Amino acid sequence: MSADRPVAGRTAGTPIAITGLGAVSGYGDGVEALWAGLASGTSAIGPFARFEHARFRTQLASESRAPAASAGMQRSSIADRFALGAAREALAQAGLPSQLDELECGIYFGSSTGGMFESESYFADLLGEPRRAARIGRLSAQQTCSPGESVGRAHGVLGPVQTVASACASATLAMGNALAALRAGEIDIALAGGSDSLCRLTYAGFNSLRAVDPRACRPFRSEREGMSIGEGAAVLVLETAASARARGARVLGWLLGAGASCDAHHMTAPDPQGAGIARAVEAALVDAGLAAAAIDFVNVHGTGTPHNDAAEASMLRAIFGDRLSRLPLTSSKGAIGHYLGAAGAIEAVATMLCFLHGAVHPTPGEGAVDPALGLDLVTGSPRPLAGARYALSTNLAFGGTNAAVVLGSAT
Amino acid sequence: MSTTVVVTGIGVLGAFGAGRAALLAGLQAGTPRLREVERSAGYHRAGGSRLAALADLAELGALVPPALSRRMSPPARMAVAAMQLALADAGLGAGVDHASTAIVTGTAFGPAWVTEQLLRQILAQGPEQASPALFTESVASASAAQMALAIRARGPNQTLTQREASDLLALGEAARWIREDRCERVLVGVVEEGVPILHALLDRFQALARADQSGAERARPFDLHRTGLIAAEGAAVVVLESAATAAARGAHPLCRLLAHGAAFDPTAQAHDWGHGEVRLGKSLRRFLDRSGVAPQAIDLIVSGASGTRLGDRLEALTLRAAWGSLPLPPILAPKGTTGEYGGGFLAAALLAAAGERPGPTAGFTTVDPELGLAPWTGGDLAAPRLALVSALASGGAAAWALVAPGATNAGSGTPADSTAART
Repeated sequence: MSADRPVAGRTAGTPIAITGLGAVSGYGDGVEALWAGLASGTSAIGPFARFEHARFRTQLASESRAPAASAGMQRSSIADRFALGAAREALAQAGLPSQLDELECGIYFGSSTGGMFESESYFADLLGEPRRAARIGRLSAQQTCSPGESVGRAHGVLGPVQTVASACASATLAMGNALAALRAGEIDIALAGGSDSLCRLTYAGFNSLRAVDPRACRPFRSEREGMSIGEGAAVLVLETAASARARGARVLGWLLGAGASCDAHHMTAPDPQGAGIARAVEAALVDAGLAAAAIDFVNVHGTGTPHNDAAEASMLRAIFGDRLSRLPLTSSKGAIGHYLGAAGAIEAVATMLCFLHGAVHPTPGEGAVDPALGLDLVTGSPRPLAGARYALSTNLAFGGTNAAVVLGSAT
Repeated sequence: MSTTVVVTGIGVLGAFGAGRAALLAGLQAGTPRLREVERSAGYHRAGGSRLAALADLAELGALVPPALSRRMSPPARMAVAAMQLALADAGLGAGVDHASTAIVTGTAFGPAWVTEQLLRQILAQGPEQASPALFTESVASASAAQMALAIRARGPNQTLTQREASDLLALGEAARWIREDRCERVLVGVVEEGVPILHALLDRFQALARADQSGAERARPFDLHRTGLIAAEGAAVVVLESAATAAARGAHPLCRLLAHGAAFDPTAQAHDWGHGEVRLGKSLRRFLDRSGVAPQAIDLIVSGASGTRLGDRLEALTLRAAWGSLPLPPILAPKGTTGEYGGGFLAAALLAAAGERPGPTAGFTTVDPELGLAPWTGGDLAAPRLALVSALASGGAAAWALVAPGATNAGSGTPADSTAART
């Protein structure tokens, strides 16, 4: 699709208001800490202590501090606690009560491993002797759907609760599901987000694929060698414009459209031409009623693996044409690592913070930007972008799953 | 104008065999096919449950070529096999371009065997021993991805995991995609595997049926003496299209999805059902009201009750709360036969709603006075004009669907178009 061709096809959907943001990240608790870290241009990736990892191939990650478990939630997993912390902040910012049982509210979460970290400890005990040392209570919050359920339980949600587990595209797809449910009138308010914690399984697994950079990841740099894994959560309060208006809520921005596709190409490698993610982006633009020319900046998946970044650059070139070399791009993963199932949520929050602060955050990473990619990657310090109205955020996942959302500023 | 969403194909496999006919035969026999679960890994506690409804994976060879199968986890193999059955059932065999075919899968536990093997490598042998092939297949969405790869399905691809409600939540999202014209068709896959570690963990959580005095382990949905569920494995894939798309290619709809809804019970514990029947009942009643359906119009309820103490209690009391003083229609609980796996339940529910003659609810003998409900155990049962399918999950999630037979029955009082309703 060329940049100047008007979008045709399906009718654009109704914009959905974003009235609250919450985050737990490697920069600390809250969206203020997240923005301060992102704007600083320094990376939150470094040594970590979540688990003993001396024997692992790489030694860095972006670790987040888990908020304390509240009363009755002592068996919560770390991923649950991340989710609860982000949800609390988002609800407070939206001016919503802590208990949501009087509202038409649903939860749409993404996660890839849920309580896997806690499961590993249980399994290690189960493999040891005596086996009775393995306490089943450790698995209470093991399931991938546990973070979303924990939020539902803590806040008395009575509407739909669903968890997308589509690896690294999970939270973006979850936002798309929330968008559809809000537009369909099934609910007035949605908590959309994602949560994942560091665990041995994903850390060893991505290392087995040689997909982890031994140094802090360097998205779109010439010498990039892979991703850095991170952990944390983010939650966006989404609501219909009518609901926001009726409550007198401050609209922080808009979720305008969502799109998804599948490469059907390979279990781990993206389509090298980026054709699959291009279809997802086109669908998101159509859903938003926008031409590609309207997009002011892009928060790309940008893992830092050679294949991903090249495929994304191909996709972006197909979508934006010659304008690509002048279109500001950023990758939050360069700053906070890859939050896996929660990546789409934290990156959507980061994108909203760019709107709110009138600047695109930089992408940390050593070395020069790969000239072969032909990108305008924001590096060093935030790039002022006054008047920016529309942004695109993309995520790709194992199995060729692609997802994209279009976000808009409040004005 | 709203879009009518129809089911044009069902592929299913489980302990009963492969295919719709095998499932129906199993349901009508009313006797679960159970096998001893392998215990040599030492995960099981002494004296725990022994049986599960396990599929014969050797049967899948004809449906999934060995060259492909080798690269797949067990649940992915089952999902791809069920997909081939479903596509054939829908008349969408070889030669069909799946550029606009989407896939939504639902799973409670994901690829458990692969995850177990990977954790063994990492924890016992060292992280450098982690197999990349196992890691790739360890994600919950591996089945959806393998389905897409097998037929080059390039539409949206998504996996939902919400325990026992994964099946109906996946069905609901898929119906929405058809209504929104996001794709030409959606393959809804629901898959679960029954591996020893999962069986052992469910047993340690005291979720499984215990042996009775005769030594039999039976799921007894709604029965006074129910002690737990029967773990099961298998897969189902359902082909969804718009009625217009199906008609254009001459396909015969098996049933119509009229509406779906979902809710949550925040009283639920993380690993069990809650006691929020009053509010869930209100949510269910609102779902029916907003779908334009009076409870009296529902001829059949297909329940996800599986024989657990709290789950069946919540299901029964939620239904009674929603129906109030009105009599409940006949209730089927196919998990008494299929065991606890969403694919068998979903396929059984859709076939029952389509008018296929279902089997009796296996294992039920005695009414639980607190529940005040007796599922259908045999005898006359008219083909339903409208069926409610209900799935309440441990952990709190709830999902419902309204399903009618395939042919539009003008004047039947059922809504003609698919909707998603507030609950």
